[in-house]
Amino acid sequence: MDPAKYAELFLAESREHLGTLNQQLLAWEKDPTATEPIGTLFRAVHTIKGMAATMGYTVVANIAHRVENLLDLLRKSDKAVLPDTIDLLFQSADALEQAVEGSVVGEEDAVDVAELLHQLDQAVLALEPSKPRGKTPAPQQPSEQPDLGGRGVRVVVRHDAPLKGVRALLVLRNMQELGTVAGVRPAEAALEADEFDGEFEFRLAAEVSNAVVETRIRAAGDIKSVEISEVAQTAARQEETRAGMKTRHVRVDLQRFDNLMDLIGELVTARSRLVELAADRADPELEDVALRITHLSSALQTEIIETRMTPVWHVFDRFPRLVRDVGRQLDKRVTLHLEGKDIELDRAILDEIGDLLVHLLRNAIDHGIEKPEEREGAGKPPEGRIELSAARDRSTIVIRVKDDGRGIDKAKILEDVKQRGLVDPETETLTDDILIRVLSQPGFSTAKEVSELSGRGVGLDVVATQLQALGGSLDIDTELGLGSTFTLRLPPTLAIIPALLARVGEERYALPLTHVDETLDFESVAIADLDGTDAMVLRDQVVPLVHLRAVVGVEGEASRRRPVIILEIGDRKGGLVVDHLLGQRDIVVKGFDAPAGTLPIFSGATILGDGQPILILDAARLV
Amino acid sequence: MSHTVLVCDDAIFMRTMISDILSQAGYEVVGEAETGTQAVERFKDLNPDLVTMDIVMPDMGGIDAVREIVKIAPNAKILMCSAMGQQALVVEAIQAGAKDFVVKPFQPSRVLEAVQRVLE
Repeated sequence: MDPAKYAELFLAESREHLGTLNQQLLAWEKDPTATEPIGTLFRAVHTIKGMAATMGYTVVANIAHRVENLLDLLRKSDKAVLPDTIDLLFQSADALEQAVEGSVVGEEDAVDVAELLHQLDQAVLALEPSKPRGKTPAPQQPSEQPDLGGRGVRVVVRHDAPLKGVRALLVLRNMQELGTVAGVRPAEAALEADEFDGEFEFRLAAEVSNAVVETRIRAAGDIKSVEISEVAQTAARQEETRAGMKTRHVRVDLQRFDNLMDLIGELVTARSRLVELAADRADPELEDVALRITHLSSALQTEIIETRMTPVWHVFDRFPRLVRDVGRQLDKRVTLHLEGKDIELDRAILDEIGDLLVHLLRNAIDHGIEKPEEREGAGKPPEGRIELSAARDRSTIVIRVKDDGRGIDKAKILEDVKQRGLVDPETETLTDDILIRVLSQPGFSTAKEVSELSGRGVGLDVVATQLQALGGSLDIDTELGLGSTFTLRLPPTLAIIPALLARVGEERYALPLTHVDETLDFESVAIADLDGTDAMVLRDQVVPLVHLRAVVGVEGEASRRRPVIILEIGDRKGGLVVDHLLGQRDIVVKGFDAPAGTLPIFSGATILGDGQPILILDAARLV
Repeated sequence: MSHTVLVCDDAIFMRTMISDILSQAGYEVVGEAETGTQAVERFKDLNPDLVTMDIVMPDMGGIDAVREIVKIAPNAKILMCSAMGQQALVVEAIQAGAKDFVVKPFQPSRVLEAVQRVLE
């Protein structure tokens, strides 16, 4: 057996059950009289216990065992569950989680659970009815059946056998198939309650040989010795011939999967080259093959990407618990509403945004949602509401964190940033666009005092930077007194994305289509002046222009006929003027460690069909 | 020909472990079930030589599944997979018609012994 393989399965499955545990506890806390959560809870804990015991993770198994006992009693109780008990169960879920994670890396003792186990035991004792169980197994009285004669049999169950009593019952059942059993000592009731040391006796009247009797006794399993008060014979057990091995399951290591994705990426790159060559040669046969390869690799690519897609609930489902805990810590009442849980994202992206969402949710509770009294004073319900939603918008996935809290006081922030010299002192209003840029500045925090939760000066800059690294963007929409909405826009998959290729001077650049709205001819647009910078008028809207030539420092004048790429990031628009458009291509995004001094306008790199590397432009940084 | 086995447990972890133990010993795991209802359905479809049955499963528990299976095939060979502390449930399962039991944490040798006993 390969322990690592089981550890991985154990971890994955335990995490899933821990998620269930938290969800069901939340549901139960909301409705303490509900009966459905307990069955689900019981099964989740029971499964974790079984797996942990098998892996030899005793700390996990010990906690789970006690929680299971407690749940079992609660299930039988007809009273609503007490808040203290729910709290204890929440604590247990946390301890289980720590112990599960610790166990897998060999640090299960890192968690001190003694106090928790004690509390669980106390809770069990408090609930346990004063029952006679364990004290009064049926007295060892001789059987009232008449003596049938026959053989006296004494059986000893192996001392390390589990559930010896049930083993003994199996022996008796086998004996009853042979003949009549009497004079069982200890009594069957005691065997059922597993209250015996593994030795028992009975009398058997049956028309079979001692050898058969012993064989049938040993067939019950885990038998150490059999004594029959006549002539005893040892029966040898036959070992079954074992046939060859057979594997029925395929499990794929995640690393393998990433490798596969990389290979598909290479294939897409080579395909581009093939298509280019075929076009150059003007050979119809070659073009046919190129077309066929294009279709096949596209299908393969879609298939692989589909397999990587994971619904957002994998991450969302742990948040209701988080929001509850953070709310309690801060004396705020708040519920989280989830929407669009089935929307899918690349697993790699999903893994990345989990922490970002935690940050945004904590911010929303800490800085957004007011205390109940303050809310009531403002004419709001005392319980705050946070909505976390996922939705598809064209080729983008949009995730929103919306709260109905106090909103952000832009006037105050404007004063603050003016003092710090972050904006022009003449600025009179702070638009949401500028606000998000200001808030995303490293080290900017609106928290007056550093709170334990989300202060520490770590503001939105971390969120914004990481989103950008993923090819996404962050927007904010806030209204004083009414609440704030943070909007994350993400490509649904990381590895291969459609992009527009453009040329400026001698260099080519890729621009992910995620943020491309349309392309226009520069000559045909009306140029305007917007606070001293170039802008254009697009359907009655003034859109600032960015000349990529100037940004990347290409000398000389470009031709008049130049295209403008209209970029849209949230509500923000911008026009990017380039020299030429080279068409649309699927590009394989490669990690990109920008050397010091690189312009901060690139989000990564890719390799084109001709083997040349080019840089990927970050739309959010350009406009 | 090797014996065919249907593995019933709601945890993939457990199913994998049992399947591995059995297939490495030459048994043929022909199916898996995650719930009691599934176990009964799959039993009807596959008619396996042996069923390993978890006690606690969603939907329909293992003991009820044993009752249902025994109704269909009175001689069905069912091996219960229980945890420590489930004494009463194991007794109930045995009374319902299960042939034997193993107790988690599983030791491969114990599981194989029990399987052989049941199939003998």
